[in-house]
Amino acid sequence: MPESESSSPRATPLQEKHVAAGGRMVDFAGWLLPIQYESMLGEHRHCREATSLFDTSHMGQFLIAGPTAAEELSRALTQNAEILPVGRGKYGFLLNDAGGVIDDTILFRLGRDEFLFVVNAGPADGDADVMRQRLSKAKLTIQGGWGKLDVQGPTSRAALAPLVEADLGALPYFGCCRTRIHGRRGIVARSGYTGELGYEVFLPAEDLPALWDELVKNPDVKPAGLGARDSLRLEMAYPLYGHELSLQINPIEADLGRYVDPFGPYVGAEALRKVAQACLTRKLAALKSSQRRPFRTHDKIVAEGKEIGEISSGAFSPSLEAAVGMGFLPAGFADISTELIVKTARAEIPVTVVEKPFYKNGTCRKKQ
Amino acid sequence: MIPENLKYTKEHEWIRVEGDVGVVGITDHAQEALGDVVFVELPSPGKKVAQGEEACSIESSKAASSIYAPAGGTVKDVNEDVTADPSLVNSDPYGKGWIYTLELSDPAELGNLLTPEQYKELL
Repeated sequence: MPESESSSPRATPLQEKHVAAGGRMVDFAGWLLPIQYESMLGEHRHCREATSLFDTSHMGQFLIAGPTAAEELSRALTQNAEILPVGRGKYGFLLNDAGGVIDDTILFRLGRDEFLFVVNAGPADGDADVMRQRLSKAKLTIQGGWGKLDVQGPTSRAALAPLVEADLGALPYFGCCRTRIHGRRGIVARSGYTGELGYEVFLPAEDLPALWDELVKNPDVKPAGLGARDSLRLEMAYPLYGHELSLQINPIEADLGRYVDPFGPYVGAEALRKVAQACLTRKLAALKSSQRRPFRTHDKIVAEGKEIGEISSGAFSPSLEAAVGMGFLPAGFADISTELIVKTARAEIPVTVVEKPFYKNGTCRKKQ
Repeated sequence: MIPENLKYTKEHEWIRVEGDVGVVGITDHAQEALGDVVFVELPSPGKKVAQGEEACSIESSKAASSIYAPAGGTVKDVNEDVTADPSLVNSDPYGKGWIYTLELSDPAELGNLLTPEQYKELL
């Protein structure tokens, strides 16, 4: 994860709620956020079974508007804004000329000429600079006074729907709309980072604590920290910026080629065309152990006695009750069923290259 | 929670001595700081350890940590229950979450350990 700034971390609008709920606060990308409340494993399992709340107010929210916004965004990002329907979002990347990833992002189209661009906390300031260079007539506004709450889990619709004016049942996967949430004007999107049915709720900072209070009245709803957020995303083999994606990694190597059109008009497309036409030298693979003992970021991956790569993310998977992780491997070693060894400081752990995701029962794509 | 009938190390292990055998585990403070324990590497019975030497290790959802021998001796029994259910170390660190027993080679070494009062001061 990105290094935090040197100054003291910023509080989110929900800081007092976290402390009151027993959150163990840590500095994450310059923000004070709960790593866990009572138990990472408990919070992970709760999200797979019921509904969890994740404070994601640290993430950057940019509004981009104007008659030329769609066309200009198509050249700035991998998401093809011109064909993105109003009321839908798309995952994609802000790339540099070399095809390296400046950030992984979601672009939501709120109106014909209005977009919400959601970015990671660490790279957010740099993203804003790059976007301002790439946009000319379209206006970029940082939605600084807002926060975000992710409401995630198989029962999240039942928990959130009574508080939202729009019909959540009619919102498709990656659908979004402006609506009233707990009586306040905000934005709701059916998306998230857990693999479960879930929503991202964007609200002005002052309106978030009351929504939190209302949601936690429901016994099905519990807060979850960054630890559970990380193990949930890892079970889905979702990338984390700074681990599976960086300026030195392009989306095709990261096995996210399905999110980029190499023939698109955006910055970095030319470099991706060259990558797509050549043989990949390395590829991100999903690795699973049959045992519980976890391996972690920077542990070495070994084949035939030689070090061939390192773990980009690794953890104990509460759903599989086994260690899982990802890592970049030379192309010849990344095929499904390849058996490898992960060397930790204390052990050599046999792993197998497996299909993504690790966890296959996620409810995120559940039909209405 | 610091039981009165145990001796402690600065590295947050406890030992309960019954004759010339000591039962070893990690303290409540240690399990709280580690977070959810997901894997316990038990020592092999018969392994000889010196006081303060790493006997085995434990992995939580956050990090790996060493478990040191509170006193020198030979590993006798190991708690297979924590292999099957490592969360016992969190839920019952002084009871069902014990890790191994040691046949003490020199019970006089126990004098180097912390009393409950001294351990409390350390925290």
